[in-house]
Amino acid sequence: MIVAENVEKRFGDALVLKRVNLRVEPGEVVTILGASGSGKSTLIRCINGLEALTGGRITVDGHDVSTKAGLVAARRASATVFQLFNLYPHMTALGNITLAPIEVLKLPKAEAEARARALLDKVGLGAQADAYPQQLSGGQRQRVGICRALAMQPRYLLLDEVTSALDPEMTGDVLRILAELAADGTTMVFVTHEIEFARHISSRIVFLEQGELIVDLPTAAFFAEDGGLAVPRIRQFLSKMKKD
Amino acid sequence: MRFWRVIEPYIGFLLQGFALTIAACLLAIAGAVLLGALTASMRSSGNRLVRGAANAYGDVFRNVPFLVQLFFFFYGLPELGIYIGAFETGVIAMSIAGGAFVSDVILSGILTVDAGVIDAAKVSGLSRVKIFTRVVLPIALRVSVRPMGSVLINLVLTSSILSTITVNELTGAAKIVAATTFKPFEVYAVLLVLYASLTTLLSFAISAVHRRLNRFMTGG
Ligand SMILES: Nc1ncnc2c1ncn2[C@@H]1O[C@H](COP(=O)(O)OP(=O)(O)OP(=O)(O)O)[C@@H](O)[C@H]1O
Ligand SMILES: [Mg+2]
Repeated sequence: MIVAENVEKRFGDALVLKRVNLRVEPGEVVTILGASGSGKSTLIRCINGLEALTGGRITVDGHDVSTKAGLVAARRASATVFQLFNLYPHMTALGNITLAPIEVLKLPKAEAEARARALLDKVGLGAQADAYPQQLSGGQRQRVGICRALAMQPRYLLLDEVTSALDPEMTGDVLRILAELAADGTTMVFVTHEIEFARHISSRIVFLEQGELIVDLPTAAFFAEDGGLAVPRIRQFLSKMKKD
Repeated sequence: MRFWRVIEPYIGFLLQGFALTIAACLLAIAGAVLLGALTASMRSSGNRLVRGAANAYGDVFRNVPFLVQLFFFFYGLPELGIYIGAFETGVIAMSIAGGAFVSDVILSGILTVDAGVIDAAKVSGLSRVKIFTRVVLPIALRVSVRPMGSVLINLVLTSSILSTITVNELTGAAKIVAATTFKPFEVYAVLLVLYASLTTLLSFAISAVHRRLNRFMTGG
């Protein structure tokens, strides 16, 4: 379980996260919605320890990410997929996927590669195992990014706008894979602007507004007239999203 | 041909010097790259002491004439009870001087590594050392190959100064031949060709390494 309690994050004078509380149980798909600059990426980066909290506490399966040992354990439990892929440019798809399993999980190379190939097959990139990131399209790179995350066999998958850098067709490819993962019971914390997709795969939706988590509802309730839609700010946000 | 008649008796001796130059340069290039990579990694460290020590090394050896450094080691090491040959002293001095410049080049390569790529390595649970050796340094080296080329070519040119500490590398051998024959023009014409061939070869090699390492990477 991921638990964020009264999380506060400041960048200098700017208070970017204000007393955020969030729980993600195994098996859940929790989508974080919110306007640009509302703190979605920052929250994800606090969960995976890329940003240090300035207040409150985050634990992943009980491991406090602000302690050294806790962070190591928390990072073992989760994996992150990034908006701009962040693949290692000097390694092939296979190299990208097997680096951490070999170095961190201490898997034998042959086994790590066999698993990596199986993952690549699953996302339709079986033939691209030896391609370098520069030789792949954006959608292909992101699928490699997803394989790299999955290869660590994470209990939690953190995804920050993983389709925003992709054109609609590639977005479809990636979303199909995420939908399959969700159907398989993968636990996900998902930041996205794809509202319809979020509605389709999420068990819960939370809404960030200027660093405050103002709504946390099961998906159906979030989109109900007497639920999330009753919050003017959310109604406004959703109608603006539809227009774009 | 008058030119050939002057040179012919000494060509073996000059080529021996050339071989010594090549040996000194190859060893010093290896030393400078290793030391430069190590220093660059220290200069990008979070530890202020480590960073300070590496910066001090770089500052000193980039800002003192090589001839002075060379004499410092040649006359200084025996004072410290370290007795090694002039050739070895020369290679060590070249490695240390070259390493200071190479570290600059590699450090700027390190600074170009995309922060997002490092984030990905961090969240995957890799240790700091592994992130550096498996991700940051290999990317930095790919970016640095070309600028490192000019540093290494300079190092080759610098090797001629080893003649001042009794190493009869190419320049040292030439001085002897010129003094014996009283035909400095012919002798140095040969040197011109040999040094130019050596540096040209090196620059081809560097381009080849650059192309090979960056075949699937953009930029750099
Ligand atoms: N490293 C940083 N230093 C200073 N301010 C930052 C930093 N990172 C984020 N911020 C600020 O924190 C706020 C929240 O940023 P964040 O990236 O979390 O928003 P977001 O909800 O992910 O937005 P988007 O939808 O555009 O990705 C913004 O005002 C941003 O300018
Ligand atoms: Mg963001």
